[in-house]
Amino acid sequence: MASDYFPPFIAAQLNYLITHFPQAVKVEQAWSGSRNYPGVLDRFTLCIPYCLDYIKWDIIYNAEFPLSAPDVVFGPEDEQFHPFRLTGSEGGDEAKPLKMILSDWSYKDPTRLCALIQELRNEYILYQQKRAGAVNDYRLKFEINTMLSREGIEIQVSSGLEKPEEVKFAVPLLDMNINKMVHGCPWRHLQKIQLQVVYPIGKKYTPRLKLISTTELKALFSVEDVKLPTWVDGMCMAEYLPHLEESLQGQIMEAVSSIDVRRHFIEALAPLLGRPLEAEPIFCRKATFLVASGAFTFQAHLSIPTQFPKQQAALMLMSNQHFNSHHAPIRSALLTDYPWSPRWDISQMAERMFDFLLDEAVNFKRYCNEMQL
Amino acid sequence: MDDLPLQKIAISGPTLASLIQRVSSSLADADGLLFGHFSLVTPSTLSDDSSADPAASTLVATITSFICSGAPHSSFDTLARVSSGHHIPRGTHLIGWFSGRRKSRLQPSMRDFAVSASLSADPKLSFPVVSSTSSRFSPRVFLLFSTPPATPETATIHTHEYRAYHFSPATETFEPKSVSVVNIGPGFRGHYGNFSPNSPFPLLACELRGSSMMQEDIEEERLSVMMQATKDKKELDLMVEGFEIGSLRRLMGPEATAYTAGLEEMYEKMLTKISSLARLVEKSSARVLELENHNSKIRADIAGIKRAADA
Repeated sequence: MASDYFPPFIAAQLNYLITHFPQAVKVEQAWSGSRNYPGVLDRFTLCIPYCLDYIKWDIIYNAEFPLSAPDVVFGPEDEQFHPFRLTGSEGGDEAKPLKMILSDWSYKDPTRLCALIQELRNEYILYQQKRAGAVNDYRLKFEINTMLSREGIEIQVSSGLEKPEEVKFAVPLLDMNINKMVHGCPWRHLQKIQLQVVYPIGKKYTPRLKLISTTELKALFSVEDVKLPTWVDGMCMAEYLPHLEESLQGQIMEAVSSIDVRRHFIEALAPLLGRPLEAEPIFCRKATFLVASGAFTFQAHLSIPTQFPKQQAALMLMSNQHFNSHHAPIRSALLTDYPWSPRWDISQMAERMFDFLLDEAVNFKRYCNEMQL
Repeated sequence: MDDLPLQKIAISGPTLASLIQRVSSSLADADGLLFGHFSLVTPSTLSDDSSADPAASTLVATITSFICSGAPHSSFDTLARVSSGHHIPRGTHLIGWFSGRRKSRLQPSMRDFAVSASLSADPKLSFPVVSSTSSRFSPRVFLLFSTPPATPETATIHTHEYRAYHFSPATETFEPKSVSVVNIGPGFRGHYGNFSPNSPFPLLACELRGSSMMQEDIEEERLSVMMQATKDKKELDLMVEGFEIGSLRRLMGPEATAYTAGLEEMYEKMLTKISSLARLVEKSSARVLELENHNSKIRADIAGIKRAADA
């Protein structure tokens, strides 16, 4: 129904959660549990990032009883996860902040849901650690003992009927704030690179390794370009990580300095081609110049890779004067076969590209005329 | 004995039906308390080995009644502690609780666990098991009701799902249990003893007072019994409205035929009384509904829900 909406008190708490939660949570599905107001949404499934995956929890409010705190139904595989108990058998004060949040619930306070989910997620981390600790595998026990003190590490035991039992680690790498290294950083969430280590239980395979970064980081640095050091048989994480971190750190520093190289390159093109029509100012990955060759004008779109200047920029030309049958401007294919050497200095790179553009203008004009016919 | 396994949960068909009706007709999610008793059932093996092994007997929880206020989180506070002041029906015990959650997965929630844990851990709420001398049991039955998330195709079909759990205090886990719905019929004769009436017929200890009762016998009665009898008589007199028990005698013998008119008059009086009572109930129900609507409007205002009626 188009008229479905969250009542204001839920909407306020949900918005606060989405904008303030340290991880990027999202609402997968929302529906109504109300008998009288079927269009009023008061329950929803939250997808919360955990261990490089999502955990899905159903948050159950009652729109008609706004003063009551919401209830949570955890995932079907987490039936043993009980973060909230009144009389704890061990300790008892374990879930104290959680009790505070619930006993002191106020529907008017938009921060409550966020605090609740944060607290539950903290409890969930401990719960998964306990589960992993109970797995009977000597190699795994060793890894957990040595790695658990590492800040931000998350562990997940996955066991399903059809899936093989395995334990996943999400290990945050590099104790450095990449956001701060980027001048004019546009990212709201802290950018992170994590190593996913998947241990099959009870088998003597080497763990599966994968580098995963926050998606926004791709503008600066692509983890897919990183070649992971090989895992030697009998190795453990504590041995493996320092090398990886060291090489990653170097690559990130390089990626950050590559921003300046790209900026200089765009700046070096300006005296030759004129001021760019458009240039992406933070990561300097894209720039558009207007090129004139006699009466023929076209736009040259540059996309500059993160590994610039090791990899050259790709060019795409777009005519200002020729249009195809759909009235869209005619474009060239992506051009990367122009003269290039990473050893040239910036001004030479710019000059060679300028020369290439002037030569290519003739070809491109011919191509445009042919396409238009 | 506390970890004696619960074999199953029994509930009579009408009780289950009225539970479902109550849950489905409430405005939002609703919870409430379940009353009944636990009993030990020793299976008859019909073999020659007649040694009655107490370990072989199983425990059955029987739900005989419930209360539901029709609102979420009503019987328990935010921290899942049982709200005080609940009236437990005579002859039963608080054996557990139920939660009705609309359109949600049929899986115990965070709160369900907290309430079950808090109920089963409260020593004040434990009670003895029927036909067992030593063991005491805490409330540990949990019934979860839900309606599946509706799709447009199934919007007109009302589906109710329920699942019963035994909450094990030792392991703090929910164990799914089968529910046996007890209906009337020869197959369920064994259960007849498990259900006791909620309002037993009052003892009529007073009807012959002052007529044929010997005076000296009254002297021997203790004062408290006398007072109870007077109270009972007063209540009874109120019920019959002037038609004394003593005059029942006139229903027998030669007087009877002449007395029919009087009897008819009594029935008519009763009918008038019943219909006036019905009207009173109707009026007060209307008033309750009016108040409930008013409350619901206030709640909707707080929640900021636009009501169709106000638009």
